[in-house]
Order: sequence, then C-alpha cells, then structure tokens
Amino acid sequence: MERNEIKKEVKIIFVSVLKNNNFEISDELTANDVDGWDSLSHMVIVTEVEKHFDIKFKLKDLNKLNNIGNLIDLVALKTEQKLILPDGL
Amino acid sequence: MQLFYDLQNSISSHIERNAFCINGVFYKYSDLAYSISVIRRSIQINIPETDKVVGLIANDDIESYASIIALWFEGKAYVPLSPEFPKDRLEKIITQAEINTIIDSSDNPLYPGYNQIESKKLLKAEINLTPKEVSGNEIAYLLFTSGTTGMPKGVPIARANLSGFVSAFWNMQMKIDKSDRFLQMFELTFDLSVMSYLVPLLMGACIYTIPKDKIKYSYIYELMEDHKLTVTLMVPSILQYLRPYFEEIDLPDMKYSLFCGEALPLDITEEWSRCLPNADIVNVYGPTEDTIFCTSYCYNCKTDYKSHNGILSIGKAMKGTETVIVGENNEKLTTGKIGELCLGGIQLTPGYWKNEEKNKESFFYINHKDKKERFYRTGDNCIADADGDILYIGRKDFQIKVQGFRVELCEIEFHAKTFLEKINAIAVATADTIGSTEICLAIESEEFSCEPLLDYMKTKLPIYMIPKQILFIKPFPLNVNGKTDRKKLEQLFNKSLI
Repeated sequence: MERNEIKKEVKIIFVSVLKNNNFEISDELTANDVDGWDSLSHMVIVTEVEKHFDIKFKLKDLNKLNNIGNLIDLVALKTEQKLILPDGL
Repeated sequence: MQLFYDLQNSISSHIERNAFCINGVFYKYSDLAYSISVIRRSIQINIPETDKVVGLIANDDIESYASIIALWFEGKAYVPLSPEFPKDRLEKIITQAEINTIIDSSDNPLYPGYNQIESKKLLKAEINLTPKEVSGNEIAYLLFTSGTTGMPKGVPIARANLSGFVSAFWNMQMKIDKSDRFLQMFELTFDLSVMSYLVPLLMGACIYTIPKDKIKYSYIYELMEDHKLTVTLMVPSILQYLRPYFEEIDLPDMKYSLFCGEALPLDITEEWSRCLPNADIVNVYGPTEDTIFCTSYCYNCKTDYKSHNGILSIGKAMKGTETVIVGENNEKLTTGKIGELCLGGIQLTPGYWKNEEKNKESFFYINHKDKKERFYRTGDNCIADADGDILYIGRKDFQIKVQGFRVELCEIEFHAKTFLEKINAIAVATADTIGSTEICLAIESEEFSCEPLLDYMKTKLPIYMIPKQILFIKPFPLNVNGKTDRKKLEQLFNKSLI
C-alpha cells in the first residue's frame, strides 16, 4: 500500500477516535501535538489501525509508534508482509 | 534508625554499580551519592531546622530520588507533589501539610511562590551520606489519598513504620542481591513506589523507571525483555493490557513478580505464570495506611492455590503485622465468617494528618493477643480460612444494597468474567432515574450481543443481581496510579442515562 494512501486512512481513524479535527497529519506529529492523544486513546488507535488494515502489531512495535511517520512505516511494512505471507504461513 | 545507616552503607559500598536506569540513561551509586550530598547541603542552608515536612515535585529523574534520601538523611520527610495533578488539588495539599519549601528538579519551578530548592541547579558539595540521628516517631513521608469529601487525606508514615516494612520484607526471604534489576513503574505519589526504589537501593541493585511520556504497559515489557528485569511490582491492570500479547512474552530471567493495589484474578495469573517460567508470583496486599503492603501470598510456592470468586488469596500477615476480621461491632469473627479486615502492628500509621474526626472513624482499640492493640479499618471485606490465609471478598463500599439485598459487585464480575473468558468486566452501581440503586456492567470489548451472557448470569445469580445496563468500553480508563478507574466508569453510565 502506498504511504500517502495509508496516511489518509490513518487520519480518518485519528479523527474518529480523538473526536477532533484540529491537527494536520504529518510524519513528525507526536502525541504532544494532538489534543486527546494519550495512553488510553493510543491503545484504541492501535486497535482501530489493526482492524482497519487487518494487521497485528507486536508488543515491541507499540513503543516505536511515537510519531505518525513511524506508524505509517510500520503499517506499510505489515501490509506488505501480509501480501508475501498469506494467512496461516 | 538502623534503616538509614543501612541505606548509607549500601550507597557507599556499591559506588561503582548502577543505581538507576532512567529514560535509557544509567546513573551509578556515585552519581546518586553526589546528588544526595549537594541537595543536603542546600537543605541545610535553606530550610530551618524546625521545618520537617518538605514538598517534592515528583519528576522522573535522579534528583527527585536523591531528594528523598537527602531529606531522610537530614531528618525530614517528603510530600510528593505530582506535576500532572491539577494545581487546585496540589495547593490544597501544600496548605494542609503546611509546606514552606519545595524541592523541584523542573527547568522552571512549578510553584515559584514558595521557598525553592532547584535541585538541578545546585553547586558542588562534599560527599556527605551520614544520616542525622532522629527518632522513629518522626515521619518519613506524607502521602495524600483522595478523601470522600473532595479534600485530600494525609497519611503520614513514621520512620519506625518504614523500618518495620523493610524488616518484614527481608523476612519474606526472597533470594535477591545487588545483581538484581527492579522495575519502578509508580508515580512517587503512590506508595508502591517506595518499595520499588528503597529495596533495591538497600541492596545495591539497579532500578528501572518509566518515562512519563511513554505508554506504560508496552514500555514495561520492553524493560523486562531488553534489560532482563528480575523483580517487578505491578498493579494487576497492567496484565489486562499485556494479555493479548502473552504469547509473545517469554521472560526466563524474572525471579519475582509481585502484584499489589487491586484484586488479582486467578485466571490471568495462571496465564502470566507461563510467561515467567522461573519466577515466583506473589500477591501482596495493603493500604497506604499500613505502609506499602503487609500481607503476602505466594501463588506458585505450593501446588494448590487459594481463591475466592476467581480472586487469588492475599495470604497471611507479614512479620510485625496483626490482622483481625471483625463484624459490625468490632467483634472478632471466627474462621470462615465474612467481615472487615483490620490491620495493626509495626507498619500502622500514627493516624491521618491533622484529622481527628477521620481518625476516630478509622482506628479503634481491641484486646488482641492479651494486650490492647490499635487497629485500622481497611474497608475490605475478607474471610480467613482454617490455615489463616485471608481471602479477599470485595470492597465494603462495593457492597451495595439492591432492593434491600446485600450485593457484592465482585460476585457479579466473577460470573460475567467466567462466561466472557478472556474479556475483562467491571460491575458498578449507579442511581437510576428515580434514585434507586442499579447494577451496571462495563465490558472491555467491542460490542457484541449480550443475551447469551445475561442468560448465563441468570442461571448463576438472583435476578436483582443481573446488570440493568451494559456498556462496551475498550480499553477501560486507568487512574493516575494505573488502576482501573471505577469512578470514571460510573460516570460513563450516568452519562448514558441522560
């Protein structure tokens, strides 16, 4: 999947979880820049992103998701892996 | 007091070892010794002898920990002030504790109106780790817990209380030494932090803290794996967050995994024990009033484990603690009878800070083992079995009355969770639109049809115990101490009524 495409879809997830629209999505964006992005909503966002892209993060991945750029990279990587390794492999 | 000389000896004899790992940076005992000494020097210059209680901004850095020890060595006590708390609450605490001086390691002091020690900006000083000799009656720390009236309640812990805790902890005979690596996941405003930094410091071991801007549960896991932590004290809620990932977790280096602060469910403990093939899992229990924790139960030291409603036993009193279970008129109950657990002994606070009214309510004297002994009412309903192991039933204030019937919310949770298997559920009581008590169930999951669940519960519980409202919330909100925030869940139900 293309990064820009992922970014657009991630933005939609953020807006629906955080219930606000007053941020511009960029690679450098972190929790400190966005109202309502805390530990708790982070977990909801993670779950929603997993569901939407049909991927599963590892526990170790979660600490790396400290800005949007990292999140998008990880989604890109996981969706690619899924194409190479279909379910069950 | 011997405790503080032990602390001095440990710091000076492990000077080359690592004391802390904070945000990925290691600090040696020599760094700690230096930081303690400069802060002591500043305390000697800036705080009058008569000023015993000092505010401490609870940051996650070496200076904040060094300040605690500097204050102890100078014969003073600390009151942790969380920079994340609302200013209004902090000001109430500062006023109540009559704080004049605040030690602050922030770049800009958070409360510039008070006498300040800016602990990051101090000049050099000679190393000085010799504690001043003070009485065991002097307090070591003063913590504020939430009061029901909205006014925070102060719990002073005397030096003799703290020393009693440490002796009782050694008496548990854990095989730990200077090579161990401890987790410290708590805010300094929560007394479980005291065990998490004090025990390792007394042995020359290393403490790993959680930076405030990190996602707690995943950071904890990373520390446990990357740094091969060997001793952890956590609240059980952390396990609920880690549970979906248990299959990835394998921590053979873990020696002791302690839990405190909330009921520890048996099923999740079983699953967790498989992630820690070489560890003892110990459930410890105790309110702030009885110094950190005062009873313990080892989950996998025996082959059969005790539980009630799916909650692991809290075991027996630690050395120096007395436990009794009493009825409505403070009468001691016999084995197998449900009553309120009351605690006495060496770890018990001298009483709430300047709050005679609350003291009369919470403390009482009864004859125990041939002498008059002071006890504290925990508000926890418990039962003791024939071996003397204590089983936790539920909070006295979670015991509610529905249509005149006494209902334990934990019992409802137990049956709901049994049906839901790995999904967490919390029962709360709220007032319905006409003001009578109504049971609600919060389920930590995506929405699904509740009918099978309710049908199952109806086979187990009388109809007045069946939840009238169900909400799906994922994840459950946590309070500042990392426990499931029941108050917030209650509010969510109240909101959904409107």
